[in-house]
Amino acid sequence: MTNALATVIIVVSLLAAAFSAVTAFRNRPMGWGDLVALGVVEVLLIVQAVVGFAKLGGDEGPKDGATFVGYLLAVLLIPAAGAGWGLLERSRWGPGVIVVACLAVAIMIVRMQQIWQGTVV
Amino acid sequence: MSEQSSSSPPTPSAPPDGRAARTGSGPGRMLVAVYAIFALAAGARAGVQIATRFDEAPVAYALSALAAVVYVLATVALAMDGRTSRRVAVAACSVELAGVLVVGTLSLADPAAFPDATVWSAFGRGYGFVPLVLPVVGLYWLWHVSRRDRRAA
Repeated sequence: MTNALATVIIVVSLLAAAFSAVTAFRNRPMGWGDLVALGVVEVLLIVQAVVGFAKLGGDEGPKDGATFVGYLLAVLLIPAAGAGWGLLERSRWGPGVIVVACLAVAIMIVRMQQIWQGTVV
Repeated sequence: MSEQSSSSPPTPSAPPDGRAARTGSGPGRMLVAVYAIFALAAGARAGVQIATRFDEAPVAYALSALAAVVYVLATVALAMDGRTSRRVAVAACSVELAGVLVVGTLSLADPAAFPDATVWSAFGRGYGFVPLVLPVVGLYWLWHVSRRDRRAA
């Protein structure tokens, strides 16, 4: 896990959350903009998973590797689930769910940094 | 979608958006999404805790597992909707509220009894107090939807 990449993911997912919040406030269903923003977040998370596994393989990382790997993989599901929900719920609440998903990604990344640095177990 | 209303008489006081009141649609989707994330987080945490170090704090880890089960129940019940599901959802949210209040109070009053944190410790402080707010929002939403149903009936 690198701090630069983590910071980028947090910023991008917060921007994606803000974008979808605007969509929801304008009373629109999920549009291409929301989907593209989610896609960018997902690509960044995949990069992070690859980097994370490479670093874990190179004997870096926390003592409690299992928790970290759990986060690394679970966070990949969140944008995909958000997009699926946005497709199902064709109202302002579709992007509403995407806001929740993107905030969850940002929170999980912060948590992963703490686990990586060993400040929490 | 609107086929179901063709056989029944029109309901004059249906919600303005033309949908039937459902716990798992509209704003309810956001609620289900938050519940799903908590089910995932609490479940994963309990799984790791119990698998790797159950002996250190069996009470805390059993509580983590219980919390996870309650979140999963609430998520599924809110998403499915229906008479039984709503009862299950009300029960799950109530257990959750009781759990976060009791465990939150005990964990502050007697920290020695809780050597490791659960979702409900210190009223869910480790999770931004969302565990404390979530059951209240859930119960309010269930009450709101059933009231809308009664008006429409």
